[in-house]
Amino acid sequence: MKQRMRTIAVLCAVAVMALLVAGCTTVAPAPAAAPAAPEAAATTAPTEEAAAEAAAGEFTLAPAIAERVASGQPLRIYVSYHDVSNEFAPFLKAGVEKAAADLGVEARFVGPVGADAEQQIAELENLVEAGAEGLAISSVSTDALAPVINRFIAAGIPVVTYNTDNPESNRLAFAGQDLEQSGYEAAKVLAELLSGQGDVIITTLDAAAQWSIDRETGARRAFAEYPGINVLTTVNTGTEPQEIYAAVENAMLANPSVTGALSLECCSTPALGEYVKRNGLQGQVTVVGFDELPTTLDLIKNGFIAASISQAPERQGYEAVRMLVDFLKGNPIADVDTGVGVIDASNVDEYLK
Amino acid sequence: MAQQATSATGQRSTGVTMSERIKRVLRARETGVLIALLLMCIFLWQVSPAFLTVRNLLNIGRQISLIGIMAIGMTFVLISREIDLSVGSIYALSGLATGMLLIAGAPLWLALLIGLLIGVSAGAANGLLSTYGLLPSFIATLGMMSVLRGIALLMTNGQPVTINESSGVAPDTLSAFFFIGQGRLLDVIPMQLVFFIAVSLIGWILLSKTVFGFRVYAVGGSDKAARVSGIKVYQTKILAFVIMGFLAALSGILSLAFLPSGQAGRTGVGVELDVIAAAVIGGASLSGGEGTILGTILGVLIIGVLRNGLVLTGVSPFWQEAIIGLVIILAVGLDKWTSSRRRAA
Repeated sequence: MKQRMRTIAVLCAVAVMALLVAGCTTVAPAPAAAPAAPEAAATTAPTEEAAAEAAAGEFTLAPAIAERVASGQPLRIYVSYHDVSNEFAPFLKAGVEKAAADLGVEARFVGPVGADAEQQIAELENLVEAGAEGLAISSVSTDALAPVINRFIAAGIPVVTYNTDNPESNRLAFAGQDLEQSGYEAAKVLAELLSGQGDVIITTLDAAAQWSIDRETGARRAFAEYPGINVLTTVNTGTEPQEIYAAVENAMLANPSVTGALSLECCSTPALGEYVKRNGLQGQVTVVGFDELPTTLDLIKNGFIAASISQAPERQGYEAVRMLVDFLKGNPIADVDTGVGVIDASNVDEYLK
Repeated sequence: MAQQATSATGQRSTGVTMSERIKRVLRARETGVLIALLLMCIFLWQVSPAFLTVRNLLNIGRQISLIGIMAIGMTFVLISREIDLSVGSIYALSGLATGMLLIAGAPLWLALLIGLLIGVSAGAANGLLSTYGLLPSFIATLGMMSVLRGIALLMTNGQPVTINESSGVAPDTLSAFFFIGQGRLLDVIPMQLVFFIAVSLIGWILLSKTVFGFRVYAVGGSDKAARVSGIKVYQTKILAFVIMGFLAALSGILSLAFLPSGQAGRTGVGVELDVIAAAVIGGASLSGGEGTILGTILGVLIIGVLRNGLVLTGVSPFWQEAIIGLVIILAVGLDKWTSSRRRAA
């Protein structure tokens, strides 16, 4: 009896203490302080020299690949994406398939279901074993994939990166959006819409992921240029859709002074828009996000999301293949910035097809 | 302390006095969880002005409902000494299938019926594999988790399924469907919460007031004893899985009706862990035979209030997962540690 009472008491005490401890540490989510590549921030110009240098540097094509190129047989190119089950994948795949048709190569879009580094690596190794003349890789994790990419490069297999770069590796070139720059541009759009005044929250599916850290670094740099903008917190929403919406709901209630919300990715963007729509906050909370999910476009059209940043995913997939083919034909290749497109009420109809 | 413990047991089995009744309530596993929950609420009420508002409490109610509905089903499965890891995939597949049927122009009742039938069939498959198929349910449902997720991806081609004005669903079908997920009963109580309350009530009656409920406990306590006493062990377990499948499908459909968009690679990924955690915090035992609907509801509330509270108090997001994990370990651990000490004494 007494024992049971004590159990209850201890359980309660621990639960409350857990909250207390957590409560004391307050705010400052990891990415804000993360030392994410400050030197990269300065370089917005295409790094043509660097890429050309790397390509011309230590890389020598594997004899088997050189033979295949000379023989005129179709080149086998694999474009590995870090999660083929996400919203973005079909657009990249379409770009890869278009490039394969245009350039007359066998390009296949591959990768793990659900972001999983080990699966991605295992699949790449198997494909190389079976024979591949070129690889384009979007890394699920920079650290996990870099050694693998370097191993392929050392073995004379051309590797480029696309969508998500792997700056730690010796990849030949990168086709995609400069993540930090895209975060900067998105925040800039929001800050301008708010006329440089107001309380802002940032939302992201995974605050600890490299892409998120890069975009957040860029976004905070842009917000810092506006003294009237106050970034309250970064909300880590998790990736499950119900979880995302619940996190948005809780964060908005916890921060009633918010007048602007910046989502760093595809999927908390429509959640913010839905929240604004359902709570009649149109005109009071300005939402800027990323990507062109059908829901996002719909919410832009109806005025619940002010703007979204497009990444031109089809172009990323296309360029990944194009770079490899060019390289195998002996042409120099350089990084391709697939750019930042701003979708808002003025041009949303073009995206709504 | 030891003296008091003996005197408490000494008084037992005589007339039920008031103090005895109070002691019995205090002894229940649910009481510990309930008091922990109340203390958490009091703490949050003190530190965050946003916590104890009708709006926030209704938000919590809605946020826990889908996990809660599934946790009710999981309680049946766990008590019968099985486990179901495929609930997140059933949730995704049923919801997305319902959405695609609506977009294809199916009437609402048909889309809902097929969505729920998918859940029921998946549950039946889980049950059959785990009984007549002789597979441990951990393995059977782990396999089904991947199979069903794969079907959902194939079916949608990895594209999001979005239900809105421009997706071609008839306006009145759309508003009826949205009412299920986004509506409010009497303009106050979120429909998802209404479903959770209804499912809880039915689950409670089924588990504690019917022969089936008795059989679930008996089967989970001991297969052999149950069989000897004439209980159809396999049928009972299969029915528990079917209930689980049905409730996972219901949650998945409500989720799509709420959001109103889903994506096969994302929807419901990882929810099985929250569902199992909620039931376990509430006292359901992975070794079967133990658990109650009330306990599970409290477990769901603990997780929901923690998540909500950590955001309201502006805690770094990374703390959430660690703290919820700690609460699971402590809730189950303290009960085990103290009860074994009690037995030794």
